[in-house]
Amino acid sequence: MSVDHALDTAPAAAPLKVRFGGFGNALLLLGIWLALIIATSLYRPDFLSHQTLLAVTFTMAVVGVLAIGQGIVAMSGGFIDLSQPANLIMSSLVAVRLTEAGLPLPLVIVGAILAGMVWGAVNATIIVFARLNPVIVTLATNFIGLAALFLVFQLAEVPIGSAIYQFGRASIFGLPAIFWPMLALVLVVGYLVPRTRYGRRMIAVGGNRTAAKARGISLRVTRYATFMVAGGFVGFAAVLFAATSGPFNPGSANALQLNIIASVILAGISLSGGRGNFWMLLLSVGFLSTLPTSLVFFGLSSDTQSIFQGFILVIAVAIDGWRARKATP
Amino acid sequence: MTHMPANSSAPAQMRGLSEEWRAALTGSVASISLTFLVVVAVGWFWVGPKFLSFGNISIIGTFAIVPLVVGAFAGFALLAGVVDLSIGSMVGFSSAVFALLLSFGWDPASAAAVTLLLCLLFGGINALAIVGFGAEPIAATLGMLVALRGISWVLLGSQGSIFAFNIDLFNLVSTTVFGLPLFFLLAVVLTLVAAIIVSKTRLGRHVQAVGGDDKAADRAGISVKKVRVAALLLSSFGAGLGGIIYAAQLGSAARATGFGLEFQVYAALMIGGYSILRGGVGNPLGGALGLLAVAGVSNILDLQAISPYYVNIIVGLLLLAAVLLDRLRGGDAFE
Repeated sequence: MSVDHALDTAPAAAPLKVRFGGFGNALLLLGIWLALIIATSLYRPDFLSHQTLLAVTFTMAVVGVLAIGQGIVAMSGGFIDLSQPANLIMSSLVAVRLTEAGLPLPLVIVGAILAGMVWGAVNATIIVFARLNPVIVTLATNFIGLAALFLVFQLAEVPIGSAIYQFGRASIFGLPAIFWPMLALVLVVGYLVPRTRYGRRMIAVGGNRTAAKARGISLRVTRYATFMVAGGFVGFAAVLFAATSGPFNPGSANALQLNIIASVILAGISLSGGRGNFWMLLLSVGFLSTLPTSLVFFGLSSDTQSIFQGFILVIAVAIDGWRARKATP
Repeated sequence: MTHMPANSSAPAQMRGLSEEWRAALTGSVASISLTFLVVVAVGWFWVGPKFLSFGNISIIGTFAIVPLVVGAFAGFALLAGVVDLSIGSMVGFSSAVFALLLSFGWDPASAAAVTLLLCLLFGGINALAIVGFGAEPIAATLGMLVALRGISWVLLGSQGSIFAFNIDLFNLVSTTVFGLPLFFLLAVVLTLVAAIIVSKTRLGRHVQAVGGDDKAADRAGISVKKVRVAALLLSSFGAGLGGIIYAAQLGSAARATGFGLEFQVYAALMIGGYSILRGGVGNPLGGALGLLAVAGVSNILDLQAISPYYVNIIVGLLLLAAVLLDRLRGGDAFE
């Protein structure tokens, strides 16, 4: 993987071009999203309704928060976290059990986030001390985690009428309540990452770990920090998931995985690390969450959704690879 | 990748031979052989002699046919450094197309030919994205995995399955020779042929060289692109064959056919010494032993009436142990 010279070749000298390139991506993605919306509403004018807006923003919430976590792992050079489904279900189960124990909603949220961070710490420990690639480690922990969860429970659900249950069904300013925390988190993370020391360190490690190490940034600390913070986001996504999903089993989150990876790549957050803007997630997650609703309005079965999502990902990755190839001499 | 220089003098050959032996004793095939023997020993002591009876080996063998065939071909893509995650839904897609064509009244031979061609077409799209555009193999083939699953589910229709029982095909795949399934023996032969191609032929050395260090291979005059395209096409061809065998075995294709197979196969192949991130390592023999070891573990748990979820826990732990061992043996360390 040729990530080790990105930071050396592209510092300070070319910020204008990079910024413009990023802006172009945003316009392109926005254009595609608008084209989808316009095409669907020309075919079926009733597509433009409050109902559609509710469906799209509802889908965006869980996917968006998970995509922040995946984006942090990708940007810091951890490539990809394949154990998000197992972590999400584990943290959701924690949220359900804590609610059943009668804890108030804020403590349930803290508990789920802590559970997600512990999961991230386990991944980081294996990655750091066994010095194994995160892709294989998270593949294995997902395997082990889901199997263990199946042994622990078959079906779980937040108690009907509890605070978390009502939060999942509440709406604020005409949109689902769960949408707003996602929006806030994407905006805050997108603002902080390029502007704080920790964020810049994370990007530096993702762009060129050798140079980052030479500048005195600890790779171990970065790995722990990124996987635990990313795990914390999965923990928070678990609160939104548990609040809205109804009864879930350990396999319920498997279908989310690809959508999240596709969102991260479409947003231009490079899987090889060091590149990307979290704000772009709003566009990519928005586009990918509009797609299923659009297809329903076009009268296509929900199975065709996978066909579109799959080929969109192939095309996005191909474009990503083409750009990376042109960028490296 | 270092290769034995072609040397005709006797002492050098002797030294080459002993080095080969040493490599065989410390290499990945040795550790998976040990793991495999441990699984057999555990089965023998825990389950008893019936674990190694022809009847039980037939059962393990019947379930292992498709993973062995798919793994033997997918191993070439791993060796060339381009992992193909789409094999699981390629198997599902192939079984759906094959069953659909049979249900239209096609004869099995032309149905199989058309099915394999379609699989090669989608394998070609993988190759175009990865080799042509430089897409990340894991992400691109993950996209193909989802797309093909969608296509198979659309083909299977609202019923979610296609019934296509063909008595001749069923008899063919159920044939036994010396008490073992014929197709299991064929899969073993296929593995041996693949092992010979990888370790004894120029083609095999080229594939290993491309996966090991593509820039060095390019300087040595090997066409990296051609090798990788061929490897990805082989991988989709193998998955196509696997799907056809499933459809023949089951007499139908369903939504669950091939679901999650990619992770099971790659976990077993990595336990057997392959790497999904680094080309040039692994051997079809080791891969097949990995698949059989996992098949053995699930058979033992099955016979002892233990929850099948423990299989995944054991496979996950074995996977971590295998990649750690590979790293200690000199594989790439992360950071």
